[in-house]
Amino acid sequence: MADDTQAISADQLRAAMAAAGASGAWDWNIVRDELTVDARFAELYGLSEELVGKPLPTTTFFRAIHPDDRARIRIAVAGLLAGAELFSKEFRVVAPHGSTLWMHGRGQSHLNDQDEPVRFTGLMVDVTDRKRTEERLRVAQSAGGVGTFEYQDGFATVSVSGEFCRLLGLHPAERLPVRTINAVVCDGEELLIPEDGKAPVSLDREFRVRRSDDEAERWIARRGEVIRDVEGSGYRLLGVIYDVTLSKLQEMRLRELNDTLEQRVAQEIEERLRTEETLRQAQKMEAVGQLTGGIAHDFNNLLTIITGSIDMASRRLDSSADPRVGRALEHAMRGAERAAALTQRLLAFSRRQPLDPRTVDVPRLLAGMSDLLTRTITEAVAIAIDAPDDVWTIEADRHQLENAILNLAVNGRDAMPQGGSLTITARNRSVRADERSDGQLVAGDYVAIEVIDEGVGMDVETLGKVFDPFFTTKEVGKGTGLGLSMVYGFAKQSGGSVLIKSTPGVGTTVTLLLARSIQDTEAPMDTARDDEPSGSASETILVVEDDDDVRAYTVGTLRELGYRVMEAHDGPTALALLEKQEQPVKLLITDVVMPQMSGSELAAAARERQPGLNILYTSGYPRDAIMRDGRLDHGVDLLPKPFTLRTLASRVREIIDRG
Amino acid sequence: MTADQVTLSELERDALTEIVNIGVSRAASSLRKMIGDQVLLSVPSIEVVNQRRAARLISEREVVDLVAVRQDFSGPFSGRALLIFPETNSLELVRAVTGGELSAEEVVEMEQEALAETGNVILNSCLATMANMLKRSLSMTIPEVLRGNGALLFEVDEEAAADGLVLFLYIDFAVRQRDIRGYIAMLMDIPSLSTLKELLDEFIARIVGEDG
Repeated sequence: MADDTQAISADQLRAAMAAAGASGAWDWNIVRDELTVDARFAELYGLSEELVGKPLPTTTFFRAIHPDDRARIRIAVAGLLAGAELFSKEFRVVAPHGSTLWMHGRGQSHLNDQDEPVRFTGLMVDVTDRKRTEERLRVAQSAGGVGTFEYQDGFATVSVSGEFCRLLGLHPAERLPVRTINAVVCDGEELLIPEDGKAPVSLDREFRVRRSDDEAERWIARRGEVIRDVEGSGYRLLGVIYDVTLSKLQEMRLRELNDTLEQRVAQEIEERLRTEETLRQAQKMEAVGQLTGGIAHDFNNLLTIITGSIDMASRRLDSSADPRVGRALEHAMRGAERAAALTQRLLAFSRRQPLDPRTVDVPRLLAGMSDLLTRTITEAVAIAIDAPDDVWTIEADRHQLENAILNLAVNGRDAMPQGGSLTITARNRSVRADERSDGQLVAGDYVAIEVIDEGVGMDVETLGKVFDPFFTTKEVGKGTGLGLSMVYGFAKQSGGSVLIKSTPGVGTTVTLLLARSIQDTEAPMDTARDDEPSGSASETILVVEDDDDVRAYTVGTLRELGYRVMEAHDGPTALALLEKQEQPVKLLITDVVMPQMSGSELAAAARERQPGLNILYTSGYPRDAIMRDGRLDHGVDLLPKPFTLRTLASRVREIIDRG
Repeated sequence: MTADQVTLSELERDALTEIVNIGVSRAASSLRKMIGDQVLLSVPSIEVVNQRRAARLISEREVVDLVAVRQDFSGPFSGRALLIFPETNSLELVRAVTGGELSAEEVVEMEQEALAETGNVILNSCLATMANMLKRSLSMTIPEVLRGNGALLFEVDEEAAADGLVLFLYIDFAVRQRDIRGYIAMLMDIPSLSTLKELLDEFIARIVGEDG
C-alpha cells in the first residue's frame, strides 16, 4: 500500500510531460485525499513554484477549470473515485493570464488488491488548436451541409460525421456499417462505399438515395480522394457528401427542355408554315381584290358611257321610229345592266363594297334573289324560300345582305354533294334580355333569316372555328375561308348576330339575326320615279372627271336636265374654276379616284373656298378614299357607276333640294 | 406525459454515464478475475430514445442479427436491461472469455452459458452500481439470452409499456487484443425514468453541491 500511495517524483512527472508533450500532470492520492502536480500544471493553474510536488488539497484540481465545465468534471472525477477506471474528458482551463485553453485530460484509477481505487493519475494536454479546428470543421459541415466520411478498405464500418448521417437520414453516429450506408442508395445506383475491395478511380459521383428517416428521394454528390497505401493494394477513401437535389432537378429540367427543343422547333415551324400559308391565301385574296377592283373601276366608267348613251339614244327615239331599233336598244341596255351586276358581284367578292345601310324588306329581297340562287346552286339541290309578307323590315346594306345569303346558300350546296334540299326562311323574332344566348345580342326585335341544309354537318370542334377568318373545310383553292367570317362581320357590323347549329350527318342551320328597322316601309328605289326631276340654269353644277367620255356623258345629261354645268378634268382645274365663279356653285360632282388630286382632297379644298358646298362622289371603285370601316363617311353622298340618267337626275335634285 | 418531458439534461447524462462507467469498470474487474487477463470496459456516451427509434438505431448500426442478455430490475425505478452484441461479436466474446482454446463446436455449445454469465456480471455490476450510487436498492431477475433483430428486442416485447423509453449506452470492450462493441439498453416507462432523473439530480447535488 505504501508504494501505491507514494507521490510520483517531480522528475518522473517532468519526464512524462516531456514525452507526452503534456501541459500538466497530476497525481491524486485518494487514500490521503491529496493532490500532487508538476511544474507545468502549477504554471497552468497559476500555482507558485514551491507548491510543485507538494501535497495540495484535492479541490485544487477544479480551481482553474472553467465554471461551465466544472460540474461535469466533478461528476467524472467522482466516478473515478467511486470505481470507474478511465478518465477522458475535454474541458476549459482559465490560465492565470486570463486566456482560456481547451485541455484534454486523460487519466486512470489505480486499484488495490481489493479492487478499491487508491490513486488517480493523469495528464492534461492543450487541445485548443484542435478544438478550434474541430469547431471550424463542424460549422463548415453544418452551415455548408457537407458530411465527411473516411473508409479504410477491408473494414466493415465507416467513420462519419454527424452531418453525413443527417444527409442520409441516419441516426447520428461516429461509425456506421458500410451496408447501412449503402442501404440508402436507390436500386440501380452504384454503391456509396465500394464493397468489392477494388479502389475506385475517383470519388466524384452523384447518387440517388432514399433518406432513411423520411423516405425522401434525394440526390447526393460524393467528392474526395482515394489514398493508396504506400505498400500493398490497400486504400483509404477520404471524402465528403452533400445534397445536390435542387441543382440536379434543375439540370434535369434543362435537359428535358433541350430534348424537347427539336420537337418544339418542329412545332414552331409547322405553325409558321400554316401562318405563311394563311398569309399567302390572304395576299392572294388581296391581289384578286385589287385586280377586280381595278377592273371594276374602268369597267364601270365604260358601262356609264354605254348605258348613258343607250339611255340618250332611247330618249331621242320617237314613236315613228323603227320598233326594231327600240328593241335593239332595250337588249343593249339589258346587256349593260347585266354587266353592271357582274361588276357589282366582283366587288362584293373582293370585299370592296362600302356598307350603305338602308331599310330593307327581306321577303322582297329574297324573292329578288331567287333567280340568282337558282343559277348559282346546282340542279341537284332543291331551293325553297319561305318568307311571309308580315316579316318586319330591317336596316342593312342590301348588297351585302344578298352577298351573305348567297354565301350561306353556297356553303349549304357544298355540304350536299349528293344533293338535297336547301331552305331559306325569314321570321320575326323578339329576343328578351334573359334569353340572349351569346351574351352579345341586345334585347329587342329581330328578323331571323335561316339557311337550312341537309348536308354532312359539322362536329363541335369544327363548329368552334367556323367563324375564324381563313378557316375552311373545303379543299385549298376551293373556298376562301372568308365566307362565314364575312357573314359574321357583316352581321356584327349591322348590329345583329349569326348563330350556327349543326349535327353531323343531319345538316346545318345558320341563323342570321338582323335588327328590326324603325321605318316600316322600304326606302324608295332610286329608279322608282318615272319622270326625272329637272334643274334650272340658275343652278350651277361643277363636274370633275378624268375620263373624258364619262365626263362628256355626265355633262351632257345634266345640261339636258336644264342645269348650268361647268367641267374640269382634274382637281386643280376645278378649283381654279370655282374661284372664278361669281355665283356660288350648287353642287360639286367629282370622281373619287383621280390622278394628282383625289376626290376627297378636292372636296376638302373646295369646301374651304365655298363652305357648305354640296358634294356628290361618283365612283366605280371607291377604295378607302371616302370610306371608314367599310361604311361611308357621314354626310357623304356616293353615286355608284354606272349610273343612268334617272338615278343621276334624282340624286342631284335630292341633294340640291336638301342643302 | 410525453417523452420530451423526461429528456435528461447534459449534466444528468454525464452523471448517468459516469455511474454506468463505474459499473462496467467493476464488471471489467470481475471479468479479469474470471479469465485472468486484462479486460477494459468503457461507456463513452448515452442517449435517451423511444423504443421504435432504439430499434432503428441499432439496426442502422448492426446489419447482422443480435444477441442480447436480458435482466429485469425493479425498485424505485423498474425496467429491463439488455446487453446487446452483434451475433458475430458474441462468439468472439465467448472465445475471448474462454481463452480461445476451445474448438468451434465447443464455442457454439458454450456460447449460451458464457453469454449469460458475462451478461450477468456486466448488467449486475451496472445495476448494482446505479442502486449504490443513487442510494436506493434494486432487485434483479436471472439473466436470459435472446436472439433477433432490433425490432424484436425493442418492440415485440409485450411487457414493455408502449410509450417506453430506452436509455441507450454504447459500450466498448477490449479483451485479449480483441475489440468488441456492444450496447446496454435500459427499457423504462416514463414514471421510472422520471424517478431516475430525480435520483440523478440528487446525486449531482451531492457531488457538485460542495463548491458549485
